[in-house]
Amino acid sequence: MSNQVIDLLQKLRQAAINKGLQALISYHEEDSYLMRFANSAISLNTNEHLISLDFIAFDGRKKVSYSMIADPSEIESMEKGLDILVEMLPHAQALNYDPTFPVYEKDVVDERSYDPTLAALTNEERLAYFNTLAAGLESEDVKLSGIFSSGTTITAQISTATEHSQYFRSTDAQVSAVLSSESLKWEVNAEQSAQKKSDLDAEGLHKDLALLVKHYQEDEAVQLPVGKYTVVLGPAATAELSNIMAYYGMTGGALMQGYSFLKEEDQGKNLFSEKINLVDDPREVEIYAQQADRFGLERKPFPLITEGRFQAFMWDQDSADEFKKNPTAHDVSHASLVMDGGEKSVATLKDLLEMPREEDILYVPYIHYMNVVNPTQGMVTGSSRFGALFLRKDGSVQVPYNVRLTQKFSDFFGERVQWMSKEQVAYNVSSSYGRRNPTALKVPRFICVKEIEISHSNPSY
Amino acid sequence: MREKLKEQLDQLKAKGAHYVDARWYPREDSNFLFMWNGNLKENNASSQSGLGVRVLYNGAWGFSASSDLSNPSAIFDRAFDNARIASERVTFPIRLAEKEAIVDSFNSPNQIDPFSVGLDEKVAFLQKMDAALNQPGVVQRFGMLEFVRKQIIFLDSEGSEIEKNIIEVFPSIHAMGVDKDGGMQRRKYLPGRTGATRGWESINETDFLANAERIVSELNQVLVADDAPNGKMSVILLNGIMFLQTHETIGHALELDRILGYELSFAGGSFVRLEDFGKLRYGSEKLTARANALEPNSPGSFGFDDDSVPAQDNLLIDKGILVGAITGRQMVEEANAKAKKQIFDGSSGANRATSFYRVPIERMTNINIDPGTDGSLDDIIANTKYGLVLDGDKSWSIGSNREQFHFACDIGWLVEDGKKKQVVKNPTYRGETLPFYNSLTAVGNESTWQVYYVENCGKGAPNQIMQLGHGVPICRFDNVQVGE
Repeated sequence: MSNQVIDLLQKLRQAAINKGLQALISYHEEDSYLMRFANSAISLNTNEHLISLDFIAFDGRKKVSYSMIADPSEIESMEKGLDILVEMLPHAQALNYDPTFPVYEKDVVDERSYDPTLAALTNEERLAYFNTLAAGLESEDVKLSGIFSSGTTITAQISTATEHSQYFRSTDAQVSAVLSSESLKWEVNAEQSAQKKSDLDAEGLHKDLALLVKHYQEDEAVQLPVGKYTVVLGPAATAELSNIMAYYGMTGGALMQGYSFLKEEDQGKNLFSEKINLVDDPREVEIYAQQADRFGLERKPFPLITEGRFQAFMWDQDSADEFKKNPTAHDVSHASLVMDGGEKSVATLKDLLEMPREEDILYVPYIHYMNVVNPTQGMVTGSSRFGALFLRKDGSVQVPYNVRLTQKFSDFFGERVQWMSKEQVAYNVSSSYGRRNPTALKVPRFICVKEIEISHSNPSY
Repeated sequence: MREKLKEQLDQLKAKGAHYVDARWYPREDSNFLFMWNGNLKENNASSQSGLGVRVLYNGAWGFSASSDLSNPSAIFDRAFDNARIASERVTFPIRLAEKEAIVDSFNSPNQIDPFSVGLDEKVAFLQKMDAALNQPGVVQRFGMLEFVRKQIIFLDSEGSEIEKNIIEVFPSIHAMGVDKDGGMQRRKYLPGRTGATRGWESINETDFLANAERIVSELNQVLVADDAPNGKMSVILLNGIMFLQTHETIGHALELDRILGYELSFAGGSFVRLEDFGKLRYGSEKLTARANALEPNSPGSFGFDDDSVPAQDNLLIDKGILVGAITGRQMVEEANAKAKKQIFDGSSGANRATSFYRVPIERMTNINIDPGTDGSLDDIIANTKYGLVLDGDKSWSIGSNREQFHFACDIGWLVEDGKKKQVVKNPTYRGETLPFYNSLTAVGNESTWQVYYVENCGKGAPNQIMQLGHGVPICRFDNVQVGE
């Protein structure tokens, strides 16, 4: 497969050279499958096979780009994209800094995240997976929703500077299964991220769903009073918070644009709980890591937070060029963030429920529609969703109506952190807007944080 | 190509498909220019073409799409096979509401095709805007121009054949500065749609320059302002936030697929139930909302949806009472069957896909609030005891059933005893949807009404971004929680 792609890139490279262009040529191919469930039926079964090309032409400080979803059988139409760059380039405005032109010094072929058995997953297998995870849990009132998204993504780059190229291929799956009450409107979920077929565990999801459905059907529903709670975050909540925090707070671009809640002088300071270690780790195959960035820089583990100390900002190539910084191999479509586990063994929701507790605990597995209220303060807001539980000190369990949390990143990951699970899970945060871009984080199964403020509490489901 | 597609439609019908449609995009072009602090950081052109096929077989949908058009029959076959598998798990066999077979075309109204305008002219516009924004107090500034031109050929097995040629322009300018407490503040200008067209001619340089001056002035007031107060008070929402309030808590809440549970695994549901139609008091009597896909100058107007149903103007909320929803052919049939009565009289023509490689789903058209009788902004302020005038969408977060929300705005003005006072910074407000709309106490007149565009509404799995519009007046809501 890599030969076909690289052959195409070599042809396009030669065409670019023939047209007098200094160009970066990027290739993206996706073979995507998505089975969607709603109201206990398959509401949509879809697949898309798309090939995209991105050309960027450089002329000193001038830069223009052309993107296309291409028909692989029409090389001429692809080459026309290069002609458009030739037309655009004279009209471009020069930047006030020198953009880096990528020069690949060696060939890179990285297929560590590719699993042929996941790539070959069939419709029948996707359906069987969902039938297993939902077995015995549906009823007239309790309905199954969800997605089983899986696919193969190929990205590759070449530039006119050398004949060397980069080629990356990965497989991924993202499963989200929801059981909801049609009459009461409660909803619980279980999710899974997979990089290889053997990661798929429908039985595991079934256990989680069965436990949550039991509590939602049998336990008392409550409207929690607003105020401060000791909160246990599930992996979805932790992954989304970490991802947004890294994007808004820890990139050089956000820093220079004034949107980061961190400042340049914060590097090296203890700003988070000493329990927190966060690293961008390109060795983590299960979260779709890549060996090199788009400009050919080798990716290495990049600590962001070490024992609570903020280490450094991530610099993509363009921001580094503009602000005269050293790029940190972060010209990537996604980072590979890993938050270390803690010391407490709490591997499952059942473990969490069975833990002795000295105070009431609000379990928030998922934060819906998180948005940044004030980026320079690092303040976010969002609502609980998908299976929150209120674990009473006396051992009983209540089902809280959804609540709103409006807090700073430093509230979630600062000194208020009480404990973290030793066990980590991969959580898939991929969106399918635009091109397939499998993205996941590896985070502790649970993080317990005290004094998290609930600013609003729903009066019903 | 059309003939080949028709042959494939016939062949799948012969194989047992109940319904088949094909959306062929011979070409979709876009052009994006982005100037940040004087640097033209993005100067991008793009194009795409391909085919998407939707098949209804034994009560279930299958869909397939590809940019490889060398063998269209393979795309049809994959869609059919996807539907065949989907039909193994059906609880409510999909039916489609009746519609006429339509052979027609739609061309969005434009005087000047933005793709006929030279790059030099577009860059010059951004340079002028950059210079206008490059003023004391502004530490970051950017301008964006995005143009889209798409040709869509729709064919279905019921005999419809529609060609759409649509052009959109999305311009905006933004200015940022650091306030006295070190926080980054922002003002932006996305022009309301005026006139009857939506081509390059709708970008009015004089208007942009005047608004560049205004947003820089407002930004500088925010930079030295105190924080907005906390507590319960009136909020007067200007168009630049009222459009988003409408979008999030009327528009999304009234998408029939959300109401029926088709978005539960991603975007969420709706607090609205089928039994609410015709009865639920959604808001005060001052609230009348409609889905009007006939506004000429808005991206929420598209001639025919991707079920080939003609664009319409339908009431959603009539003097506070819920009466309608945003619907497509599939959902109205299911809703009527589940409700055991006819709530919806056919599709409202709102089933749309963002591209050839996505399946159509219920999307907002132009979700508008009718102008009211409470006069101008000055009139509304004069009748307000204590509160805030708010503008600019800084952040938004909405409950999964659209039952509650939290918004942060770019700017606020304190109102005391009928007078607009000083600017305040970091204003936020939150509420529960029904109590909030029932606290609507003033709706501005026609002079306050403007159509705003939304170019990035996300929904669906696989995810889709859609463009649409909101025509809204200035509105006042009382007893709203501000400052959290």
